[in-house]
Amino acid sequence: MSNGTHRFPGSRIIAWAARVVPPARRAAWRAEWEAEAAYAWTVAQRRGGGRLRALRLRIRVSTCTIDALWVRREAMETRGWLKDLRIALRGLARNGTFTLVTVLTLALGIGANTAVFTIVDGVLLSPLPFERPERLVSIEHLGRDGQDELPVSPGLYLLYRERASSLEEIAMFTGTAVNVVTEAEPERVQAQMVTPGFFDVLRVGPALGRGFTEAEGLPDGEQVVILSDGLWRTSFGADPGVLDRTLDVNGTNRRIVGVMPPEFGHPDREARLWLPYVVDPSQAPLASFQGGGIARMADGSDPEGVLAEFQGLIHRLPEIFPEAPGVGFLGRVGLRAQVRPLKEAVVGDVSSTLWILLGSVGVVLLIACANVANLLLVRAEARGRELALRMALGAGWPHVLRAFMSESLILAAAGGALGTLIAAGAVRAVFGLLPTDLPRMTEIGVDVRVLGFTAALSLGCAVFFGLFPLQRARARDLAGRIRDASGHGAGTSVERHRLRSGLVVAQVALALVLLVGAGLMLRTFQALRALDPGFDAGGVLTAELSVPPGEMEGWQETAGFFRTLGDRLRVQPRIEAAGFAMAAPLSGGLPFFNLSLEDHPRAQDELPILAWQNFVEVGYFEAMGIGLLEGRTFQPGDGAEGVRAAVVSRGFAERWWPGQNALGRRISLGGPEWSVIVGVVEDARYASLEEPAPEMVYWTATSGPAGSPQPTRTMDVVIRTSADPLEIVPVLRREVEAVNPRIPISNPRSMEDVVETAGARTSFTMTLLGSASGIALLLGLVGIYGVVSYIVTQRTREIGVRMALGATAPSVRGMVVKQGLAMAAVGAVLGLVAAGALGSLMESVLFGVQPTDPLTYASVALALVAVCVLATWIPAARAARVDPSTALRSE
Amino acid sequence: MGRRFSLTYPTAAVLLAVRNGHRYGFDVMDATGLPDGTVYPILRRLERRGVLEGRWEDEAAAKAERRPQRRYYRLTPLGEASLVEVIERFPALPRLFEPPRETA
Repeated sequence: MSNGTHRFPGSRIIAWAARVVPPARRAAWRAEWEAEAAYAWTVAQRRGGGRLRALRLRIRVSTCTIDALWVRREAMETRGWLKDLRIALRGLARNGTFTLVTVLTLALGIGANTAVFTIVDGVLLSPLPFERPERLVSIEHLGRDGQDELPVSPGLYLLYRERASSLEEIAMFTGTAVNVVTEAEPERVQAQMVTPGFFDVLRVGPALGRGFTEAEGLPDGEQVVILSDGLWRTSFGADPGVLDRTLDVNGTNRRIVGVMPPEFGHPDREARLWLPYVVDPSQAPLASFQGGGIARMADGSDPEGVLAEFQGLIHRLPEIFPEAPGVGFLGRVGLRAQVRPLKEAVVGDVSSTLWILLGSVGVVLLIACANVANLLLVRAEARGRELALRMALGAGWPHVLRAFMSESLILAAAGGALGTLIAAGAVRAVFGLLPTDLPRMTEIGVDVRVLGFTAALSLGCAVFFGLFPLQRARARDLAGRIRDASGHGAGTSVERHRLRSGLVVAQVALALVLLVGAGLMLRTFQALRALDPGFDAGGVLTAELSVPPGEMEGWQETAGFFRTLGDRLRVQPRIEAAGFAMAAPLSGGLPFFNLSLEDHPRAQDELPILAWQNFVEVGYFEAMGIGLLEGRTFQPGDGAEGVRAAVVSRGFAERWWPGQNALGRRISLGGPEWSVIVGVVEDARYASLEEPAPEMVYWTATSGPAGSPQPTRTMDVVIRTSADPLEIVPVLRREVEAVNPRIPISNPRSMEDVVETAGARTSFTMTLLGSASGIALLLGLVGIYGVVSYIVTQRTREIGVRMALGATAPSVRGMVVKQGLAMAAVGAVLGLVAAGALGSLMESVLFGVQPTDPLTYASVALALVAVCVLATWIPAARAARVDPSTALRSE
Repeated sequence: MGRRFSLTYPTAAVLLAVRNGHRYGFDVMDATGLPDGTVYPILRRLERRGVLEGRWEDEAAAKAERRPQRRYYRLTPLGEASLVEVIERFPALPRLFEPPRETA
């Protein structure tokens, strides 16, 4: 080239654009453009030159950038997209074992994640199955600064309905169990009582017939009922003419006015029929909190606005209802409303558990991907030379990317597809193991969102382990790469090891985090198992009995029924004790009233004394195994006709009479007549295993709240037996039928099952975390084994040299083990730090153990390191067996 | 005969320009009115297909004018034969291309 070639307008543009052109074509391309531009400038100068002509030439030359991109594109088009895929497929098919192992590993990892995500999606993420579900709110109340969580009272419901303008409609509901008689067989079913606006709030109507009218929600309204789809099919054969027929509910014939659609299950999946919730506007109590509240917000409102409106109404209660009883009480407890989106209330506190589970399987997938990345790295080294040549021939970055990603995309796609199948099967299988109190279980299923998650996950995996080999293939040192790929260049070797070792360290760290989680859950499980619930659950049967209103009238008859039944049961062989209670422990709601203590009078503005109440019959404490500390339990003769007796729990006694004797003190539920405390019993856990035992006051079931006309009609029977509790069920049925055949028994179960169900969520979480960490550990071990084994292979010559120079087998073994130990130790330390940082996330599911429990951390770390060292044993043994002569010969 | 390139308007223009003696890249651009950035890809493609032949100009001539050697293109026999089809497709086109005033 002659001189002056770089002195024309636009020469810099050409030089800059030349960088885009693939190296192999760069020189020729540049020469052509420079020649043309130089010539054009010569011609222009002959015509006078000048800045205008220079600018015009520059503009002309600037189109060379487009041409440079064209050249690049032409270089890439030497192979098509499909061709790359075909080559990738062939490559994978050749290495069948590798492909199989990788796809299976990925399928398991992706499958597990998809399965858990399916659950998370169904329960937490998907919207409630109602029209515009974001407008629905749940209404509760709080008392005593949040100490008391209360639902809604009829009086407040009416008040809100009448005066709250931020609501479109509001409804109250409560669950109950009723006896229905179909085909002359009594059956006890779950039911929901709902106010007339309930179906309007949800905007779900009956599939047949209609909802309830306003008139039916009043005290003298017609007795009607709405059936569930299930009840309609089983008891009425899906008869389309079922409307206007009658159904015997708790002894009353009710007219059927509607049938709900099959999928409707709010708030209780098990509800088989709906009854009107009767509220008497003339005497709706303000302070008797009985039912749940839901509402649909009016357009333009939000939960905060509704809350503000409710608070305003509550503040004005004394003004609106100057004479209503309970207004003062509400003021004293500092009543506050609580308005939450309905989904939040339905889902409850299960979200933390689910997110923890999703996180765990996510970690397992990361570890699996690291394994696959390691495997691909090994393969990538073999392809390094091919890659370098391709780049020299002008293949650009995107082309290289495509060639490598084809393989990882195929692997990820196969893994994802197989994983989806595994997930679908797993969800179905796991359904039985899920805690039965998991909300929204019916909405769990593989849908479009889940498939989208799987696809995104697979793509993410492909990118993650596809990029690892690529990271090495930077075009900076092309020549060196070609040189290195054919031999064992020392420089890149170190880089290789660092990357692979880094992956293994990450795997070990992640596995440790999971193991710590599993260990903590195990400790929680043990703690729950070990704690004394306050009663003896072994050999105890419990079941529900309910006396329908039409069946027996008044105290004498009802009390007589339970007494007679109890006496009959107690003389049966194998039955050691029998009793009744309004609710057995861990079995459901107990009322929470205020009461009075004679020697602790409350001033007008003081907070009242509140405690949980349980109504029990003679024999309950003995049957339940609740220990007696002082005095006596109930005996025949206690109750309305004889001694008005009460029994209190230890916690209650110690609170009000610390260090003193509680016996003989007088207590009342608000009426003029006092009862006497005759005994103090051990605390028992009624609400849940984790929560401490509440302060309890026990009354005899036949005396009830003083002055109340209603006897306790629904009781849990509690039977202590020397046999297997479930064997006693036929005996129970027989005896109940003998006393009164129209009273059904429902839900017989052993107390041990009840306790186990109460801990179901913990054991479920523990099992899942345990499995996840087990898989993680296995994968981590495979990873370590793989890398150490590879290192040994790479360094065979070096080992041979060492042994030839006198190194002993143990020292060689030690060297290899030290490599593995180093990786494991670093991984363990990182894992401990990570576990400590993430520990607080688990706090809500733990019990009896700190998230940073040193014992768990230390033992898990030591065990992990030990196991990792064991994994390196095989390669170490192999290294020690290296024959120096053969090793040195192989070059 | 089978066509070895897609006969678009720009391709036809480039062929005719070369036939009429506009042999260098910038000349083709001037003659056809197409931007250089799109003329060169067409030239290269036609060269790949064997329709055009590319050559560097004589070194002596360039040295004499103290400038780098330019690259020029001319029709191969195959290219000549393709021209028949081109003129058939775009009958008015040949009249637009006159030989260049300055000889290279």
